Amino acid sequence: MDIEVKNFHPLEVKLLRHVGLGEDISAERIVNELDYKIGQCNQAFSWLCAKGCLKETGRRTIVTYELTELGQAQANEGTPAQRIFDLLKGGEPLSLPEIAEKLGLEKSDIGSAYGSLSKAGTCAMNAENKAFVKNDQLPADVTETAELLKKGLAGPIDEATMTEREKALMGRISKKRGAAGSPYKMTEREEVTYQMTEAGQEAKEALLKANITGEEIGVLTPQIIASGSWKTASFRPYGLDAPVQRLIPGRHNPYANYIQWVKDKLTSLGFEEFDGPLVENEFWNGDALFMPQFHSAHDIHDVYYVKEPRHCKQIEEPWLSNVAATHENGGNTGSRGWQYKFDHEFTRRQILRSQGTVLSAHQLTKAKVPGKYFGIVRCFRFDEVDAKHGADFYQTEGIVIGKEANLKDLLGLLKMFAVEVAGATDFKYVPGYFPFTEPSIEIHIKHPVLGWFEMGGSGIFRPEVTKSLGIDEPVLAWGLGIDRMAMMHLGINDIRDLFSPNIDSVRTRRGN
Amino acid sequence: MPKFETKEKFLFNLLGREYTDDELEQVFPRAKAELDEHDKENGVFKIELNDTNRPDLWSAMGLARLLKNYENPQIKQYDFFSSKCFTADNKGRELHVGNRAKEVREFSCGFVAKGKTVDEDILLTLIQSQEKLCFNFGRKRKTIAMGIYRNDLIKYPIHYDGADPDKTHFVPLHMEEDLTLREILEKHPKGQEYGYIIKDKPVYPYLYDDSGETLSMPPVINSAYVGAVEVGDNNLFVEMSGPILKDILLCASIMAVDMADLGFEIEPVKVIYPYKTEFGKEITVPYYFQDSQSCTIEDIKHVLGEDIDAEEAKDALLRMGVYSVSEGNTIHITCPEYRNDFLHPVDVVEDVMIGYGLENFEPTIPRDFTVGRLTPAEELGRKVKDIMVGMGFQEMIYNYLGSRREYVDNMHIKGDKVIMIANPMSENFEAVRPSIIPSLLESESVSGHATYPHRIFEVGKVAFLEPSDNSGTATRNYLGFMSADGSVTFNDANSFINTLMYFLRVEYTLAAPEDDPRFIPGRCADIMVGGKKIGIFGEVHPAVLESWGCGMPAVVAEVDLDCLL
Repeated sequence: MDIEVKNFHPLEVKLLRHVGLGEDISAERIVNELDYKIGQCNQAFSWLCAKGCLKETGRRTIVTYELTELGQAQANEGTPAQRIFDLLKGGEPLSLPEIAEKLGLEKSDIGSAYGSLSKAGTCAMNAENKAFVKNDQLPADVTETAELLKKGLAGPIDEATMTEREKALMGRISKKRGAAGSPYKMTEREEVTYQMTEAGQEAKEALLKANITGEEIGVLTPQIIASGSWKTASFRPYGLDAPVQRLIPGRHNPYANYIQWVKDKLTSLGFEEFDGPLVENEFWNGDALFMPQFHSAHDIHDVYYVKEPRHCKQIEEPWLSNVAATHENGGNTGSRGWQYKFDHEFTRRQILRSQGTVLSAHQLTKAKVPGKYFGIVRCFRFDEVDAKHGADFYQTEGIVIGKEANLKDLLGLLKMFAVEVAGATDFKYVPGYFPFTEPSIEIHIKHPVLGWFEMGGSGIFRPEVTKSLGIDEPVLAWGLGIDRMAMMHLGINDIRDLFSPNIDSVRTRRGN
Repeated sequence: MPKFETKEKFLFNLLGREYTDDELEQVFPRAKAELDEHDKENGVFKIELNDTNRPDLWSAMGLARLLKNYENPQIKQYDFFSSKCFTADNKGRELHVGNRAKEVREFSCGFVAKGKTVDEDILLTLIQSQEKLCFNFGRKRKTIAMGIYRNDLIKYPIHYDGADPDKTHFVPLHMEEDLTLREILEKHPKGQEYGYIIKDKPVYPYLYDDSGETLSMPPVINSAYVGAVEVGDNNLFVEMSGPILKDILLCASIMAVDMADLGFEIEPVKVIYPYKTEFGKEITVPYYFQDSQSCTIEDIKHVLGEDIDAEEAKDALLRMGVYSVSEGNTIHITCPEYRNDFLHPVDVVEDVMIGYGLENFEPTIPRDFTVGRLTPAEELGRKVKDIMVGMGFQEMIYNYLGSRREYVDNMHIKGDKVIMIANPMSENFEAVRPSIIPSLLESESVSGHATYPHRIFEVGKVAFLEPSDNSGTATRNYLGFMSADGSVTFNDANSFINTLMYFLRVEYTLAAPEDDPRFIPGRCADIMVGGKKIGIFGEVHPAVLESWGCGMPAVVAEVDLDCLL
């Protein structure tokens, strides 16, 4: 048997070193000989049995009697019967209430004590109903009970040491768990006897050999350092396979961390972050992006409308006039436009932002050229909430403005995202469609874990979008679907779990 | 995105050969199509089309037309189109539009397709085209509705007009009762579905032939007699109606070329309006109305970053089914009859790109140097997060939509600043959160089993009504945190705030808040910076905890981080 004795607790060590093969080991013995508390003793027995170093060899019930407070008093001052006898013997007959008063005892105690004297013929009542001593000899019961009480003054009495007569008397004056009215309290406990096993012997020898005494330092205290007692002591080693207590650390949210990581990646690639309000209007959410107000391209997604205020106060100029003209006839953008009457009320209708591209549009009005911008922003879509659709979600969007920006740059940009952000091993471009870009490109990537999927959509903003918002240079626009990568990263399958309110699941969630 | 289904054989017949799934996935991107599903058991493809501005591609015929031409450019001639300069023979067939049509649904047009017997596949594909065109392109029939009728039963001219909804009546398809137009809106399933488009108009659209036989009440339902097309029919009248003339003409053209591709002979019908439309008083349909478009070699170079010469560009366009001629550096295209998506020269450039082959463009990296930068709010948010984490808090991230019950009722506030949604999908998502505190308490209410103490926080956005803003709302970046366990008190929150503010280098004072039912009176404080309230913290009122079903005492705090920028 191979026992790692280094890991033994000092209580185990000292016990093993103290006992020998073939000896009976009981709690009583260990308490006496090693000065253990009974609880420590039981811990040591239980651990050593579990390790196979001790085995149980017997168990018996031990009954002991101990004086109660009442018993102590009676042992010192005499039992009520003794005291009544002593009082009456040297004096005149007294009534029972008079006796009670003189002895300072309860009437009920006097009643039962006198009863036993009267029954034995020691005392009797005269004609005036006063008690007197009739027989000079106390009954044996009374004297023997008194002796038994005195015996208790020396400490608890083991039933095994008592005579049959004592046991009979004790039966009358003791109660289990000592009701206050009894002179003696009876206690029953189990005593288990153990013996050391062969394995225990081996462990003992190993302890002796390793010179482990059980006196090693456990917790290093400031006192031990100050006193220098550590210089002559050794330290108890800790077990390496002991169960570890769980800590609950302060922690960043792993999904937020992932978003932060993507933001850092994008800033490292030279992108400047943008942000904006959650409440938008049709103008920026769709019209400025050349999505016709009353056309199928507008129904590409449904939006949440704000109940109040229904409309914003105004749309900034010259953007409103530019965009309206572009929709109606192309304005100065070189386009035919959508050829319908632009609705100036509809355009002010307030909604919850449904796509991150809104912020790209806003950014055009204040962008530097050349410029690279991005945002990871919360968007809202009117959609049934399920494992694939959240009530609100993050979109990652951005633009690149440059005099020479073109399709080949866009492809290069997408490739860079595929490699840097997604860790793609392969990728391909396919033509896509977005109402606000022309041409439009999707990038499909081969992810090391997820396989092929569409990582993002992109394109070159239509001149109808850029020229209306004051930009003459080409603008590359892109959006990345990072949610799928985030879910893979976090090992979750339900998009709703990204925003879980469940504290325990967030506490234990790890990124890859 | 529109999706359609087609039998393998049907598509392969149109394509002229069979394709493996891999081959289809290779060629579909040319049409911005995706193979959504291949049901091999029943031999059916489900195909998704991404371009919402190319309704001509939303059928097996349209998709095959593009793909076939891409591999073997040979643009198909359709000789049944009329145009500004040419009018095809309508063989005396006319459709007369009445004066009152414009009060409800101004335009109607149609053509005849004959000489091919409708079988089950054709019937299915026609019904599908009708659905896609009217539902997706026609905005749920609002701008385009289509009817197909048994031409043998029609006595020309056909009439289209606004009709009295209570005096006009016919037996609608799939019913046996003769109902007035208004009754059809109430009783017929299609009436209930599409009736809203015309319900409140003084007259309802009505299409009937010269003998008074009803064709239909567009955009709702055909008649049970003339409007009941079945397998075996070989002479059809196809009609479109809607408020935008170009849209219905385009759809008529798409249907006409699709049906021609299926083997039908297309015969025009002359539509006569009582007044002048943008294409005159008389329009013979199918009608080619599209404008030409052009782009220059410079446009191509500018957008695509590639030197593509005029010949290469014309070849690329030809593969896309687009005729073009070059004149110096300018390339003029002829828009195909079934398309109307060349709004701008860049639309031509995109066709050049696809025709040229995306794989032939070498990616380059943008050359301009720019400085990457986070927003100040993000920078501050990160600082705050680090301090909160250091104090032992778990960062959370929550949805921004929730219920009024959570944001208002459970918080025992009046809620007069909450932004409500006019069209909520469900009451679980009917409001924008005005505060992070309800999110934190929701966490507490679902996390009773998690080991205490619960220390959580979020740095995120809230939004609420703010009359001074142009939108009447404000979106702010907030910090919210909560600490819950058996012994947490106001003092704990006070210490957290104090530590946070120390490390943020913010000087602040505390003030007793006005009555705030979210907190225990006398156990909460306003955080004041420069005389302005920027936050609040305190012990959550037991009434609020009870509403949330929380059994543990909690302190919460909220700070407007934008005030610290």
